[in-house]
Amino acid sequence: MKKILLSAGALFLLVALGGWYYVFQYSKTHHRDVANEDAVVVSAARIVKDYEANEKTANARYLNKAIEIKGVVLKREKDQAGDMTLTLKSGDPFANVFCTLKPGTTLNPRASTVMVKGVCTGFLSDVVLNGAIVVK
Amino acid sequence: MKKPILFLALAGACLQVHAQKLFSTKTGQIKFNASSPLENVVAVNNQVDSKMVDKTGQIVFSALIKSFKFENQLMEDHFNENYLESSKIPKAEFRGYVTNVSAIDFSKDGKYPVNVDGTLTIHGVSQKVSTVGIMEISGGRPNISGVFKIKIKDYGITGLYIGTKIAEEAEISVNCKYE
Repeated sequence: MKKILLSAGALFLLVALGGWYYVFQYSKTHHRDVANEDAVVVSAARIVKDYEANEKTANARYLNKAIEIKGVVLKREKDQAGDMTLTLKSGDPFANVFCTLKPGTTLNPRASTVMVKGVCTGFLSDVVLNGAIVVK
Repeated sequence: MKKPILFLALAGACLQVHAQKLFSTKTGQIKFNASSPLENVVAVNNQVDSKMVDKTGQIVFSALIKSFKFENQLMEDHFNENYLESSKIPKAEFRGYVTNVSAIDFSKDGKYPVNVDGTLTIHGVSQKVSTVGIMEISGGRPNISGVFKIKIKDYGITGLYIGTKIAEEAEISVNCKYE
Protein backbone atom coordinates (compact mmCIF):
# COMPACT_ATOMS: atom_id res chain seq x y z
CA MET A 1 0.00 0.00 0.00
CA LYS A 2 2.84 2.32 1.00
CA LYS A 3 4.57 1.54 -2.30
CA ILE A 4 1.45 2.41 -4.28
CA LEU A 5 1.03 5.70 -2.40
CA LEU A 6 4.66 6.58 -2.96
CA SER A 7 4.41 5.78 -6.68
CA ALA A 8 1.19 7.85 -7.00
CA GLY A 9 2.84 10.75 -5.16
CA ALA A 10 5.93 10.58 -7.38
CA LEU A 11 3.74 10.43 -10.49
CA PHE A 12 1.70 13.43 -9.32
CA LEU A 13 4.90 15.39 -8.61
CA LEU A 14 6.28 14.49 -12.02
CA VAL A 15 3.09 15.62 -13.83
CA ALA A 16 2.95 18.88 -11.80
CA LEU A 17 6.62 19.55 -12.53
CA GLY A 18 6.07 18.82 -16.24
CA GLY A 19 3.09 21.18 -16.31
CA TRP A 20 5.01 23.93 -14.55
CA TYR A 21 7.96 23.51 -16.94
CA TYR A 22 5.69 23.61 -20.03
CA VAL A 23 3.70 26.67 -18.93
CA PHE A 24 6.42 28.81 -17.39
CA GLN A 25 9.66 27.72 -19.03
CA TYR A 26 9.14 25.95 -22.37
CA SER A 27 6.43 28.37 -23.60
CA LYS A 28 8.63 31.35 -22.80
CA THR A 29 11.60 30.11 -24.77
CA HIS A 30 9.87 28.18 -27.58
CA HIS A 31 7.83 30.24 -29.99
CA ARG A 32 6.09 29.20 -33.16
CA ASP A 33 8.63 28.78 -35.93
CA VAL A 34 7.39 28.56 -39.53
CA ALA A 35 10.70 26.97 -40.56
CA ASN A 36 9.38 23.70 -39.07
CA GLU A 37 5.96 23.89 -40.73
CA ASP A 38 4.58 22.79 -44.09
CA ALA A 39 3.38 25.88 -45.94
CA VAL A 40 0.53 26.74 -48.26
CA VAL A 41 2.32 27.89 -51.43
CA VAL A 42 0.57 30.78 -53.15
CA SER A 43 1.46 33.80 -55.30
CA ALA A 44 1.18 37.35 -53.95
CA ALA A 45 -1.40 38.12 -56.66
CA ARG A 46 -3.55 35.08 -55.77
CA ILE A 47 -3.69 35.63 -52.00
CA VAL A 48 -4.54 39.34 -52.42
CA LYS A 49 -7.26 38.49 -54.97
CA ASP A 50 -8.67 35.83 -52.63
CA TYR A 51 -8.83 38.29 -49.71
CA GLU A 52 -10.41 41.00 -51.83
CA ALA A 53 -12.98 38.60 -53.26
CA ASN A 54 -14.12 37.18 -49.89
CA GLU A 55 -12.25 37.86 -46.68
CA LYS A 56 -14.10 35.22 -44.67
CA THR A 57 -13.35 32.45 -47.17
CA ALA A 58 -9.75 33.61 -47.51
CA ASN A 59 -9.33 33.59 -43.72
CA ALA A 60 -10.60 30.00 -43.65
CA ARG A 61 -7.93 29.13 -46.23
CA TYR A 62 -4.95 31.16 -44.98
CA LEU A 63 -5.41 32.64 -41.49
CA ASN A 64 -2.88 31.42 -38.89
CA LYS A 65 -1.30 29.07 -41.45
CA ALA A 66 2.29 29.07 -42.70
CA ILE A 67 2.20 30.69 -46.13
CA GLU A 68 5.01 30.62 -48.69
CA ILE A 69 5.01 33.47 -51.20
CA LYS A 70 7.39 34.37 -53.99
CA GLY A 71 7.19 37.98 -55.01
CA VAL A 72 8.85 41.14 -56.23
CA VAL A 73 10.02 43.42 -53.42
CA LEU A 74 8.30 46.79 -53.67
CA LYS A 75 9.58 48.22 -50.42
CA ARG A 76 11.84 47.19 -47.56
CA GLU A 77 11.75 49.05 -44.26
CA LYS A 78 12.16 48.55 -40.53
CA ASP A 79 9.29 48.59 -38.05
CA GLN A 80 9.33 50.36 -34.67
CA ALA A 81 10.92 47.31 -33.05
CA GLY A 82 13.75 47.39 -35.63
CA ASP A 83 12.60 44.25 -37.50
CA MET A 84 12.77 44.21 -41.29
CA THR A 85 9.52 44.48 -43.23
CA LEU A 86 8.97 43.68 -46.90
CA THR A 87 6.13 44.70 -49.18
CA LEU A 88 5.68 42.21 -52.03
CA LYS A 89 3.99 43.33 -55.21
CA SER A 90 0.65 41.76 -56.01
CA GLY A 91 -0.13 43.62 -59.23
CA ASP A 92 -3.04 45.37 -57.51
CA PRO A 93 -2.17 49.04 -56.91
CA PHE A 94 -4.27 49.16 -53.70
CA ALA A 95 -3.22 46.00 -51.87
CA ASN A 96 -0.01 43.99 -51.64
CA VAL A 97 1.55 41.50 -49.22
CA PHE A 98 3.13 43.07 -46.14
CA CYS A 99 5.46 40.87 -44.22
CA THR A 100 7.54 41.27 -41.06
CA LEU A 101 10.65 39.11 -40.94
CA LYS A 102 11.78 37.30 -37.81
CA PRO A 103 14.29 39.28 -35.75
CA GLY A 104 17.80 38.75 -37.02
CA THR A 105 16.75 37.61 -40.52
CA THR A 106 19.16 38.81 -43.16
CA LEU A 107 18.36 39.52 -46.78
CA ASN A 108 20.63 40.22 -49.72
CA PRO A 109 20.27 44.01 -50.14
CA ARG A 110 20.20 43.58 -53.94
CA ALA A 111 17.54 40.85 -54.00
CA SER A 112 14.59 42.08 -56.03
CA THR A 113 12.57 38.84 -55.93
CA VAL A 114 12.29 36.79 -52.75
CA MET A 115 10.49 33.75 -51.44
CA VAL A 116 9.27 34.18 -47.87
CA LYS A 117 7.45 31.90 -45.46
CA GLY A 118 5.42 33.44 -42.63
CA VAL A 119 2.22 33.15 -40.63
CA CYS A 120 -0.77 34.87 -42.22
CA THR A 121 -2.44 37.07 -39.59
CA GLY A 122 -5.15 38.48 -41.89
CA PHE A 123 -5.95 41.39 -44.17
CA LEU A 124 -5.78 45.15 -43.52
CA SER A 125 -4.63 47.43 -46.36
CA ASP A 126 -2.45 44.46 -47.38
CA VAL A 127 -2.40 40.75 -46.65
CA VAL A 128 -0.20 40.52 -43.54
CA LEU A 129 2.44 37.89 -42.74
CA ASN A 130 4.24 37.74 -39.40
CA GLY A 131 7.35 35.93 -38.11
CA ALA A 132 8.53 35.32 -41.67
CA ILE A 133 11.76 33.77 -42.86
CA VAL A 134 13.44 34.14 -46.25
CA VAL A 135 13.35 30.78 -48.04
CA LYS A 136 15.44 32.09 -50.96
CA MET B 1 -22.55 84.80 -64.49
CA LYS B 2 -23.35 81.34 -63.13
CA LYS B 3 -20.40 79.65 -64.91
CA PRO B 4 -17.60 81.72 -63.30
CA ILE B 5 -19.15 81.19 -59.86
CA LEU B 6 -19.38 77.45 -60.48
CA PHE B 7 -15.78 77.44 -61.74
CA LEU B 8 -14.58 79.33 -58.66
CA ALA B 9 -16.49 76.98 -56.36
CA LEU B 10 -14.97 73.92 -58.08
CA ALA B 11 -11.49 75.45 -58.01
CA GLY B 12 -11.94 76.18 -54.31
CA ALA B 13 -13.08 72.62 -53.66
CA CYS B 14 -10.09 71.24 -55.58
CA LEU B 15 -7.70 73.46 -53.62
CA GLN B 16 -9.26 72.24 -50.41
CA VAL B 17 -8.84 68.62 -51.48
CA HIS B 18 -5.21 69.19 -52.49
CA ALA B 19 -4.45 71.10 -49.30
CA GLN B 20 -5.50 68.06 -47.28
CA LYS B 21 -2.81 65.51 -46.49
CA LEU B 22 -3.27 61.85 -45.67
CA PHE B 23 -0.63 60.41 -43.36
CA SER B 24 -0.31 56.65 -43.05
CA THR B 25 1.72 53.83 -41.58
CA LYS B 26 1.64 50.03 -41.68
CA THR B 27 4.11 49.62 -38.84
CA GLY B 28 2.31 51.39 -36.01
CA GLN B 29 2.72 49.94 -32.54
CA ILE B 30 0.04 48.99 -30.01
CA LYS B 31 0.87 47.47 -26.64
CA PHE B 32 -1.71 45.57 -24.61
CA ASN B 33 -1.10 45.23 -20.90
CA ALA B 34 -3.53 43.34 -18.68
CA SER B 35 -0.99 42.34 -16.06
CA SER B 36 -2.05 41.43 -12.54
CA PRO B 37 0.07 40.92 -9.44
CA LEU B 38 0.00 37.20 -10.31
CA GLU B 39 0.86 37.30 -14.01
CA ASN B 40 2.61 39.47 -16.57
CA VAL B 41 0.12 39.73 -19.46
CA VAL B 42 1.77 41.95 -22.08
CA ALA B 43 1.57 41.81 -25.87
CA VAL B 44 2.94 44.01 -28.66
CA ASN B 45 1.68 44.48 -32.20
CA ASN B 46 4.08 46.19 -34.63
CA GLN B 47 1.87 45.78 -37.72
CA VAL B 48 -0.80 48.36 -36.95
CA ASP B 49 -2.29 50.04 -40.00
CA SER B 50 -3.22 53.67 -39.36
CA LYS B 51 -4.33 56.63 -41.46
CA MET B 52 -4.88 60.24 -40.45
CA VAL B 53 -6.12 63.31 -42.34
CA ASP B 54 -4.47 66.52 -41.17
CA LYS B 55 -7.28 68.97 -41.96
CA THR B 56 -10.18 67.04 -40.51
CA GLY B 57 -8.33 65.10 -37.81
CA GLN B 58 -10.01 61.90 -38.98
CA ILE B 59 -8.00 58.94 -37.70
CA VAL B 60 -8.22 55.15 -38.07
CA PHE B 61 -6.19 52.40 -36.41
CA SER B 62 -6.62 48.80 -37.55
CA ALA B 63 -4.90 45.84 -35.91
CA LEU B 64 -4.95 42.11 -36.51
CA ILE B 65 -5.31 40.18 -33.27
CA LYS B 66 -2.97 37.41 -34.42
CA SER B 67 -0.22 40.02 -34.88
CA PHE B 68 -0.05 40.56 -31.09
CA LYS B 69 3.07 38.83 -29.83
CA PHE B 70 3.50 37.65 -26.23
CA GLU B 71 6.70 36.60 -24.54
CA ASN B 72 4.97 33.35 -23.58
CA GLN B 73 3.68 31.31 -26.56
CA LEU B 74 1.06 29.51 -24.46
CA MET B 75 -0.35 32.84 -23.26
CA GLU B 76 -0.47 34.04 -26.88
CA ASP B 77 -2.39 30.90 -27.87
CA HIS B 78 -4.89 31.35 -25.01
CA PHE B 79 -5.29 35.08 -25.83
CA ASN B 80 -6.22 34.16 -29.41
CA GLU B 81 -8.29 31.03 -28.83
CA ASN B 82 -10.03 31.49 -25.48
CA TYR B 83 -10.34 35.26 -25.03
CA LEU B 84 -10.24 37.26 -28.30
CA GLU B 85 -11.43 34.36 -30.52
CA SER B 86 -9.25 35.73 -33.29
CA SER B 87 -10.08 33.02 -35.82
CA LYS B 88 -13.71 34.20 -35.75
CA ILE B 89 -13.02 37.93 -35.20
CA PRO B 90 -9.53 38.64 -36.57
CA LYS B 91 -9.49 42.46 -36.36
CA ALA B 92 -9.76 45.32 -33.88
CA GLU B 93 -10.32 48.87 -35.03
CA PHE B 94 -10.55 52.43 -33.77
CA ARG B 95 -12.28 55.10 -35.90
CA GLY B 96 -12.51 58.65 -34.70
CA TYR B 97 -11.20 62.19 -34.75
CA VAL B 98 -8.43 64.27 -33.26
CA THR B 99 -10.93 66.86 -32.07
CA ASN B 100 -8.42 69.68 -31.58
CA VAL B 101 -6.53 69.14 -34.86
CA SER B 102 -6.82 72.84 -35.72
CA ALA B 103 -4.39 73.57 -32.85
CA ILE B 104 -1.66 71.51 -34.55
CA ASP B 105 0.75 73.18 -36.95
CA PHE B 106 1.89 70.27 -39.13
CA SER B 107 4.61 72.46 -40.65
CA LYS B 108 6.19 73.31 -37.30
CA ASP B 109 8.22 70.81 -35.28
CA GLY B 110 7.00 70.39 -31.74
CA LYS B 111 4.84 68.41 -29.32
CA TYR B 112 1.12 69.10 -29.33
CA PRO B 113 -1.39 67.69 -26.82
CA VAL B 114 -4.29 66.00 -28.63
CA ASN B 115 -7.82 64.96 -27.70
CA VAL B 116 -9.12 61.89 -29.48
CA ASP B 117 -12.75 60.73 -29.60
CA GLY B 118 -14.07 57.74 -31.44
CA THR B 119 -15.33 54.18 -31.48
CA LEU B 120 -13.18 51.23 -30.53
CA THR B 121 -14.25 47.83 -31.82
CA ILE B 122 -12.70 44.76 -30.21
CA HIS B 123 -14.08 41.22 -30.33
CA GLY B 124 -16.89 42.55 -32.54
CA VAL B 125 -18.16 44.90 -29.79
CA SER B 126 -18.00 48.69 -30.26
CA GLN B 127 -17.61 51.20 -27.44
CA LYS B 128 -17.09 54.97 -27.39
CA VAL B 129 -13.62 56.00 -26.31
CA SER B 130 -12.25 59.45 -25.40
CA THR B 131 -8.60 59.88 -24.59
CA VAL B 132 -5.70 62.28 -24.72
CA GLY B 133 -2.27 61.89 -26.29
CA ILE B 134 0.67 63.67 -27.80
CA MET B 135 1.25 64.49 -31.45
CA GLU B 136 4.91 65.12 -32.14
CA ILE B 137 5.76 66.77 -35.45
CA SER B 138 9.28 66.26 -36.73
CA GLY B 139 10.28 67.27 -40.25
CA GLY B 140 6.64 67.43 -41.32
CA ARG B 141 5.97 63.87 -40.12
CA PRO B 142 3.59 63.31 -37.22
CA ASN B 143 4.02 60.71 -34.49
CA ILE B 144 0.98 60.10 -32.30
CA SER B 145 1.21 58.44 -28.90
CA GLY B 146 -1.22 57.89 -26.07
CA VAL B 147 -2.34 55.51 -23.35
CA PHE B 148 -5.87 54.62 -22.27
CA LYS B 149 -7.64 51.90 -20.33
CA ILE B 150 -10.49 49.63 -21.31
CA LYS B 151 -12.62 47.25 -19.29
CA ILE B 152 -12.11 43.85 -20.92
CA LYS B 153 -15.64 42.65 -20.14
CA ASP B 154 -17.14 45.72 -21.90
CA TYR B 155 -16.05 44.08 -25.16
CA GLY B 156 -17.81 40.79 -24.52
CA ILE B 157 -14.55 39.06 -23.63
CA THR B 158 -15.02 36.48 -20.96
CA GLY B 159 -12.66 33.99 -19.41
CA LEU B 160 -11.89 32.19 -16.23
CA TYR B 161 -8.90 34.28 -15.21
CA ILE B 162 -10.24 37.82 -15.85
CA GLY B 163 -10.13 39.59 -12.51
CA THR B 164 -7.57 37.19 -11.04
CA LYS B 165 -4.54 36.37 -13.18
CA ILE B 166 -5.67 38.85 -15.85
CA ALA B 167 -6.52 42.42 -14.84
CA GLU B 168 -10.13 43.55 -15.36
CA GLU B 169 -8.82 46.68 -17.06
CA ALA B 170 -6.27 46.53 -19.86
CA GLU B 171 -3.94 49.39 -20.65
CA ILE B 172 -3.64 50.14 -24.36
CA SER B 173 -0.56 52.13 -25.47
CA VAL B 174 -0.47 53.50 -29.01
CA ASN B 175 2.59 54.80 -30.83
CA CYS B 176 2.37 55.47 -34.57
CA LYS B 177 5.01 57.17 -36.70
CA TYR B 178 3.37 58.34 -39.91
CA GLU B 179 4.87 58.85 -43.35
